[in-house]
Amino acid sequence: MKRIGLALLVLILACSSWVGLAFAQPIKIGVFEPMTGPSAAGGEMTVEGIELAWEIKPEVLGRPVEIIVVDNKSDKVEAANAVSRLIERDQVVAIIGSYGSSLSMAAGDIVKQKQIPAVGCSPTNPLVTLNNDYYFRVCFIDPFQGTVMASYAVNELGAKTAAVIQDVTQDYSVGLAKYFIDAFRKLTGNPNSIVEISSYNTGDQDFTAQLTNVKNKNPDVIFAPGNYGESALLIRQARDLGIDVPFLGGDTWEAPEFLSIGGEAVEGAVFSTHFTAEAPVTAESGYFLDAYRQKYGKEANAFAALGYDAYMVILDVIEKVGSADPQAIRDGLAEVKGFVGATGVISLDENGDAVKSAVINKVENGRFVYLTTVEPEF
Amino acid sequence: MRDKRRTDLIALAALVCTVVVLLLANRYLDDYKIRIINLSGIYVTLGLSMNLINGFTGLFSLGHAGFMAVGAYTVALLTMPIPMKEMNFFFQPIVPWLANVEVGFLPALLAAGLISAFLGVLIGAPVLRLRDDYLAIATLGFAEIIRVVFTNTQSLTNGALGLKGIPNYTNTWWSWGVAFFTIWFVSFLIRGSYGKAFMAIREDEVAAEAMGINLFKHKVLSFAFASFFAGIAGGLLASLLGTIDPNMFRITLTFNILLIVVLGGLGRIAGTVVAAVIVTVMMEALRFLDESINLGFIQLKGIPGMRMVVFSIILILVVLLRKEGLFTRLKGRESSYAEN
Repeated sequence: MKRIGLALLVLILACSSWVGLAFAQPIKIGVFEPMTGPSAAGGEMTVEGIELAWEIKPEVLGRPVEIIVVDNKSDKVEAANAVSRLIERDQVVAIIGSYGSSLSMAAGDIVKQKQIPAVGCSPTNPLVTLNNDYYFRVCFIDPFQGTVMASYAVNELGAKTAAVIQDVTQDYSVGLAKYFIDAFRKLTGNPNSIVEISSYNTGDQDFTAQLTNVKNKNPDVIFAPGNYGESALLIRQARDLGIDVPFLGGDTWEAPEFLSIGGEAVEGAVFSTHFTAEAPVTAESGYFLDAYRQKYGKEANAFAALGYDAYMVILDVIEKVGSADPQAIRDGLAEVKGFVGATGVISLDENGDAVKSAVINKVENGRFVYLTTVEPEF
Repeated sequence: MRDKRRTDLIALAALVCTVVVLLLANRYLDDYKIRIINLSGIYVTLGLSMNLINGFTGLFSLGHAGFMAVGAYTVALLTMPIPMKEMNFFFQPIVPWLANVEVGFLPALLAAGLISAFLGVLIGAPVLRLRDDYLAIATLGFAEIIRVVFTNTQSLTNGALGLKGIPNYTNTWWSWGVAFFTIWFVSFLIRGSYGKAFMAIREDEVAAEAMGINLFKHKVLSFAFASFFAGIAGGLLASLLGTIDPNMFRITLTFNILLIVVLGGLGRIAGTVVAAVIVTVMMEALRFLDESINLGFIQLKGIPGMRMVVFSIILILVVLLRKEGLFTRLKGRESSYAEN
């Protein structure tokens, strides 16, 4: 008898939880990020931001939101599998991801075919959203970032000539370099103002050959976008060779390792990024920074903030259109104007790219110091 | 002879079964599962082509990612619609002789295979004079060179930016059609005099040469066949994904295939096929290990990458305890080689 009673109790409990579940079906949002492999650090930071956003806003339209995080192993084939899995097995209504443009592109065809909207956090390669109505992103793209640094070099530093050292294996490095070169030539009005373009590969340790070339040309500034590790080494070797002109770079430099590897040498290095923990760009960023500090006990960085924004944009759209239908979310995303996020005021243009301000940071006394904010040109 | 007819019958039955399974799969399974089936087919081709060099001919080669890259780029550039090419090459225009080319999938795949095979011969001729680990290093270097070249030839491959918008021609018929052709071809090759020569080279090069086997010719031939299939598989993969970039073809890709070859058993055809399917399916099926597990009373936080650990453990166990591969019936060492 006792046993039957116990069985009944279990049955009732099971039923009630089942009914509870059926009552408010969760809205599922899929996240595919590199949690393992070479890009794992970036993926992890992004997921931290997304999870924080979810904790702050776990409900929309009176229904709970469920985020499903899937690892894409920093691998294109896995990225495609992961997204396909999110759509078919988990039936998500929207997707967030991924760190790394090539991983995002692997998802592009699938979300387009299945008509599920995707919002990228930090893929900056222009090809990601190109010709794809279902892919959006909350970060600016390489052309903008490259242009921002060129105008900083010309207008703030008064540079007349520049040298470019790019990591030829990284799409963002090549992209930034290309747009920096174009803008710099235009701004100086001198087609010969770029005195040297050198390349290296990810993983290189010795940059003396490139730097010697650059030194002979005697540029006013050096633009060297690349991974933080290689860039920090490169700047150190440049200082050892006696090159004392300013170094400019991109958002990838915003990593503690850049400071620890570069040490004294990277003092004065200037780079553009999405966000700064020092000067909240919007009211939302102040709120985000506090919440992040409380949850993780450390300062937030750009990737976490972008993850946070991607989630918040999707929830905002779901609220506005009053539906969790993928097609409705897509149409809502295409209309996003003036969304106040942690990384700035985000408007999505006709390509699905965010039009927003860039932040310029400088290394001073072993810290990243906020210099200025550059507004986009409309 | 009767034995041969029996294996033929078994092969035919397997073929018919797979066709039926594919028909049913296409009808009832969702796109995610179809994608895994496609990948399995591609990995079967890759595993067999690598086994041809490493398993049957006994040459330790690690150049597969390079050949795949060649095949993938060939198919991508040949099948991509002309307007899409313009969109992709917004940095630097594509070389004129490729700008207005658009061919069907079959000719593109064949071209992918032939170009890769040609490169295989080109590389193989000097490199195959080396042995063992020296050969491994040389072929590894070759794969890296291909990747570096593709990264730097912006107007041909779009460099690090990669390509997107490659038409998705790959379906289960293509991937498994090619896989079956590869299975048939490799078994045909192995049964014939070439296969005997390959295996003789594997067992003892000096003895093989003394028997009158032209070492150089057979090694290059094995290399060329393997790179042909690797190129085609690379093309299928490019068309399945719709986007490629040089960083995709890193050494880790070669190791994925090597994992299949070792698990399936060096010089085992059926073992490789089974291993390819199981590894591909398990890689997805084991995803639950990465997720947090809710046991009701306790919540275990998931550790990303746990599923890869499983493969590492299996690999270590196989290498230590079952060098013949996981799926091979043990029949005693000597006879099992002759069986092939």
